[in-house]
Amino acid sequence: MKSTPYNLIMSALYKGMKGDRPPAGNPTSIVCHGLMDACGISFPEAHLNPEAMAELALAGHEILGFDTVMPEYSVDQEAAALGCEIDWGDRDRMPDTKFFPHADFSDVTVPENFVEKPSIRVVLDALSILRRHVGGKVAIIGKVMGPWTLSYHVAGTQNFLLQIGLEEKEKVGKMLRQLMPATIASARAQFQAGADIVVLADHATGNLVGAYHYEEYLLPIHKELTAAIEGPLILHVCGNCMDRLEMFADAGFDGYHFEWQVDAKKAVEKVGHRMCLVGNVNNAETLYQGTPEDVYKQARYAIEAGVDIIGPECAIPLATPMENLKAIVAAVHEGY
Amino acid sequence: MSDILQQIRDAIIRRKRGEIQGLVETAVKEGIDPNGIIDNGLIAAMDVVGQQFSDSEIFVPEMLVSALTMKMGLDVVKPLLKSDNARPRGTIMMATVKGDMHDIGKNIVIMMLEGAGFQVVDLGVDLTVEKLMEQIESNKPDLVGLSALLTTTMPEMRRAVQILHERGLNEKVKVMVGGAPVSASFAEEIGADGYGADAAEAVEVARRLISDL
Repeated sequence: MKSTPYNLIMSALYKGMKGDRPPAGNPTSIVCHGLMDACGISFPEAHLNPEAMAELALAGHEILGFDTVMPEYSVDQEAAALGCEIDWGDRDRMPDTKFFPHADFSDVTVPENFVEKPSIRVVLDALSILRRHVGGKVAIIGKVMGPWTLSYHVAGTQNFLLQIGLEEKEKVGKMLRQLMPATIASARAQFQAGADIVVLADHATGNLVGAYHYEEYLLPIHKELTAAIEGPLILHVCGNCMDRLEMFADAGFDGYHFEWQVDAKKAVEKVGHRMCLVGNVNNAETLYQGTPEDVYKQARYAIEAGVDIIGPECAIPLATPMENLKAIVAAVHEGY
Repeated sequence: MSDILQQIRDAIIRRKRGEIQGLVETAVKEGIDPNGIIDNGLIAAMDVVGQQFSDSEIFVPEMLVSALTMKMGLDVVKPLLKSDNARPRGTIMMATVKGDMHDIGKNIVIMMLEGAGFQVVDLGVDLTVEKLMEQIESNKPDLVGLSALLTTTMPEMRRAVQILHERGLNEKVKVMVGGAPVSASFAEEIGADGYGADAAEAVEVARRLISDL
């Protein structure tokens, strides 16, 4: 096998042949101030304009040396298309959902032209631009939000979690089911537009909800989603999810993108034979506040533990130094 | 200890919202001192809930409902407190720092602090340092709690503590910090007086810092 970025990522995803080195990948944003300055593209433009979006994603490969390009930096693209009011932020601030249109748990209808809504279209166009530029050379990653995260957006996080606490099972289940078509439509459209892999982010986060919540509410839905979306899917769930790793594999995901809180060795031991593991360099302490040496050590720890694709654990802080991101790339270029 | 107080604690721990107000009314009729109901019923129950959360036996959804149940009980007993007994254990101002809209952690800490008998002023989300200083000067709290969920907003936390020190306000008000990316070492480095890893710990820190005053 030729050790090209594309080959390394796709082979690692299916735990196939190992090339010269492990790949560096980013299922979530690696945009920082340094990268914005280096390519002359900034937020919020890169959330709203497909050329800007694609160019900033490309900088992650060309300037930092990652083996993937991933053009969706916010978690709000679907929310905007579902009628949430979005503050698109600025150079120093990520976008955020401001208004929750279904706080009353009223019926959610995913519009027929959902993927043609501007906030979805922009990602699809950016993926197609990337396909034309680096298709077959660099792995192109798309990203969609799952129904759990979308419920936070349309109903408000605290409100949604409260209904779970109140055991309003029918209400919660109905909202999750009504949002599924948004996730499916968005993921299918991203594959058609040029994504090699799609990340499905669904924040049933370790410290917010328990494995029993995931099992009851989300596992059946995730099984249906992985069956309905044919292309390769990497699940992203933040927090310490050690207690539900097997369930993520049961759900049928091809990979799991995980945080530093989950020890890489233990994760590999638990599910490394069933799915690709992606991660898990710590953001707050290491990438943001640490030195390149600290980052390098964590990346090497992940490689030695058997993590398949090495990268930050989650979307990085905007003030992360570029040298720290390059230290991940340096660590993978040393080989296995 | 009285059986009815045990039932009140159970109702909160087991999230029986429909039962709590009747139980508190019964406790009042039995002649139990309102402060006793709060301390040995409501607060004692939330201490257990906080510990269950720290031990990952329960999670945010259950915690929210227990806090709601506790508040319903508190609403029954609060009007019965004599004015000199109604004095809170201290005033705490809570906010998420500028740029951070994520308030669920802060809200849970507020519910726990209120349950523990503190008066809490909620300054909401996305609070600028300037606004925080104004509020400290006008409200004169004993303690300020700052929360950040995003790593992007941690520098704002540092700035808030720094300006507090520059203006000499740290003599009068203590600061505790928390939130997913915040650690004890970060809290120490920026000069905060306390750090809580979760809501239960935040209550412990608040108790300690306010008793030190």
